[in-house]
Amino acid sequence: MRALLLLALLPFCNAVAHEMTPTYPTFSKSFMAGISVTTLNIFNKRKDVSYYEIGVFTDEWEPIPFVSEYTIIPMKYLDTVSFDVYVSNLSLSSVEFICSVSQVQAGATVSSKICSRVK
Amino acid sequence: MKKLLIVSLILAPHIPVYAADTPIVGNVQTRCLITTDTNGVYGNPLPSKLSTTASDGGVVPVIRYDVTLADAYLAKITTPTAFSTSPTLTDSVTWTGSTAVSKTSDAGMSGYEAAKVTYGSTTQFDLTKAGSTWFSSSSTAVYGVSKSFVGGSYTAIVLAECIAK
Repeated sequence: MRALLLLALLPFCNAVAHEMTPTYPTFSKSFMAGISVTTLNIFNKRKDVSYYEIGVFTDEWEPIPFVSEYTIIPMKYLDTVSFDVYVSNLSLSSVEFICSVSQVQAGATVSSKICSRVK
Repeated sequence: MKKLLIVSLILAPHIPVYAADTPIVGNVQTRCLITTDTNGVYGNPLPSKLSTTASDGGVVPVIRYDVTLADAYLAKITTPTAFSTSPTLTDSVTWTGSTAVSKTSDAGMSGYEAAKVTYGSTTQFDLTKAGSTWFSSSSTAVYGVSKSFVGGSYTAIVLAECIAK
């Protein structure tokens, strides 16, 4: 029984990838006063991932409130999704990172995280 | 016949051309792509041990980072410190892991391994060159004090991060 404990750590059949652009997004005025917006893109080449979670952080990795169409973006395999991130101008100067993290499902065992930096 | 030829010559420049160029557009920009290149497998050399090293019957997972701009990203790879799925375990599991550069696309990346920074279970690499870097991330789990793992399926998660500098 113990000998059968040969277990997959990363059970992928094919190379799988996660990409987010741009590396250095810039905020601009949105259609609402006091709110700025930037647009990012995620490319999902992971068959084992259907959702990516978005987060906005300070340089100390403290979360910053933001609004987007989805906080957790549903994505099909080989989809590219473009999404807007809205942040209050009051917290805009604190924004340092915008990250996307793959949401691991049963069987998937690599979590990928890509963070763009607001300079 | 002559008239027809003359009319054809006069109209020729005005006949629309239906063959058209089909453009393929692309956009090259700074980016980081995280790819899992090799499947990782835990071997079970002892009843109390799961390990990805080849000598233990395992397979070390390989994660590739592709960056298109030099000095724009940090790669952080965190080896597992818990099972994401496993049978019920009543004792503690001791985790060890390490990450190393296994291959590079550019000779200038040879310094990545010496310059890596390790804290806890995380290893950080400064991606100072554009191109591809392959990282091998080994993981070992030991159950209790020489206690046998419970039979069943075990899964652990490696976190691969690419952080813009």
